[in-house]
Amino acid sequence: MKQNTVIPNVFKGLFNIVLLLVSVACVFPILWILYSSLKTHQEFSLSILSLPTSFHFENYVTVFWEAKLYQYFLNSVFLGVVATILTIMIGFVSGYFLARFQFRGRNALYAMFLFGMLIPVYGLLVPVFIEYKYVGFLDNRFSLVLPAVTFALPIVIFLIESFVKSIPLEIEEASYVDGTNIFTSLIKIVYPMCRPIISTCIILSFLNVWNEFPFSLILISSQELKTLPVGLTNFVGQYSVNYPQLMSGINVAVLPVIAVYLAMHKRIIQGMVAGAVKG
Amino acid sequence: MERTLPKPKGIVIFGFLLPGILINLFIIVIPLILAIYFSLYKFTGGIMGDFVGLSNYAQLVKDGKFWNSFKNNLVITGLSIVGQLGFAFVLAIVLQSKWVKFREFHRTVIFLPVVLPAVVVGFVWTLMYNKDYGILNKLLSSIGLSSWIQPWLDDPGIVLYSVTAPIIWQFIGLYLIIFMSAIQNISSEIYEVAEIDGATGLRKAIYITLPMLADTIKVALMLCIAGNMKIFDNIFVMTGGGPGDSSTVMAQYAYNVSFGQFRLGYGSAVSIGMIILSLLLVLVIRRLMGGTNR
Repeated sequence: MKQNTVIPNVFKGLFNIVLLLVSVACVFPILWILYSSLKTHQEFSLSILSLPTSFHFENYVTVFWEAKLYQYFLNSVFLGVVATILTIMIGFVSGYFLARFQFRGRNALYAMFLFGMLIPVYGLLVPVFIEYKYVGFLDNRFSLVLPAVTFALPIVIFLIESFVKSIPLEIEEASYVDGTNIFTSLIKIVYPMCRPIISTCIILSFLNVWNEFPFSLILISSQELKTLPVGLTNFVGQYSVNYPQLMSGINVAVLPVIAVYLAMHKRIIQGMVAGAVKG
Repeated sequence: MERTLPKPKGIVIFGFLLPGILINLFIIVIPLILAIYFSLYKFTGGIMGDFVGLSNYAQLVKDGKFWNSFKNNLVITGLSIVGQLGFAFVLAIVLQSKWVKFREFHRTVIFLPVVLPAVVVGFVWTLMYNKDYGILNKLLSSIGLSSWIQPWLDDPGIVLYSVTAPIIWQFIGLYLIIFMSAIQNISSEIYEVAEIDGATGLRKAIYITLPMLADTIKVALMLCIAGNMKIFDNIFVMTGGGPGDSSTVMAQYAYNVSFGQFRLGYGSAVSIGMIILSLLLVLVIRRLMGGTNR
């Protein structure tokens, strides 16, 4: 009798260990660039897989200041903040009206907003470039804001629309009876109720902007306006001789994402999967 | 009867929705119209040329390089369907088993690559493929397979597979979560009944989980196809579409034509062609699968 329970337990343990190994193997490439970035170049050349013996954070100092990654970093942060604020403002209001009111053209409009998720955005690269060239909006600090907002909007509108539909009408009704106008009610009553979903939207939209590459590549040409993903392509070319420094540079783009992810992975996963399945 | 709020005037609703509408017009609708317009002209090096009618499209239909890039998109899509959906499905079933501990840990870890910038994924894999310092070659030689070592990103014969690997790797987590949450929705009674009838793990997977997930699999398939029609970032940084055209995808080709050769008229035609092909493919497959029963 006793053996019967012992063997499966050993087996279960092994099974779990194998699974853990699979999971870790899945993220090993990321772990590798994270810990290798703290080695010296010499240490790295001797053994590419070993863990660092001491931590050389100066790699980060070098790439951040000397290679001027801070410039790209600040540009990405600026763009992320501006675009996210706009996305949330527009997305919140649009999502709310689409959820609460039936009006002529409502379905067409909703379809148009979600179409942004379906269309292969890369097909828009050349057209947007030509349009920007005509309007004279290329290579401007605000050039990337509009595409960033446009491509973050569908998922935000979708998430807010479905969330608003799920909250009961009574509270808003009561406020209208009291004579509150729609604008005040939006800010004072609806917005606080939507806070949970809005924080999800903020993270998703920020990640979206932070990771955006093709539009940054074609709409911006000055070095001092480039965002991290594009800046990194230049950087990688220059630093390809020193691997740990190269990895430190890449990590400047990766670490904020991982930090945000670790803090809010549940919401990120939920929001992204809901958006993906809908699209 | 459905209750509604007192409805504001149409003009008020319109006013609140206007910013969203304008931004969509400016970034999606107007550029599309412009692209159609410019695709009818000869437009090179920033100089608007003559009206050429549909000749850009006639050229596109005969353009071997364009079709080659479309073929590359299809190959990558095919590999991704097998690699991402297949692996994610198996993993989802395994992780759903009663024995598994740390389920949350697995989900979180495997999903992580999904949120990373595609550019970074490209860089990381370029490092992994590196001849001297890459982990792939290191791994192969340490298990006695030095003969398998390849110039991963320089051999036109294998480069397409080399650039597909990171794409598969990055998005397994997305499908894993989609499948896992669908499996959780299957009533456990069905499994219990099956167990009483003597069904084992594999049989349960094939005869219960698979059919119950049919709709989810369709959705995942559409996602996978649509997603792979628009790949660009990681291939751009890994190979730039090379060597030659061996890893050029449609978006890369549109980029090369428009910004490498500055043929914006033809580049517009390529972009329109790309959008039409992607949407058509999605529609045809959706039709073939008979839609989802939702």
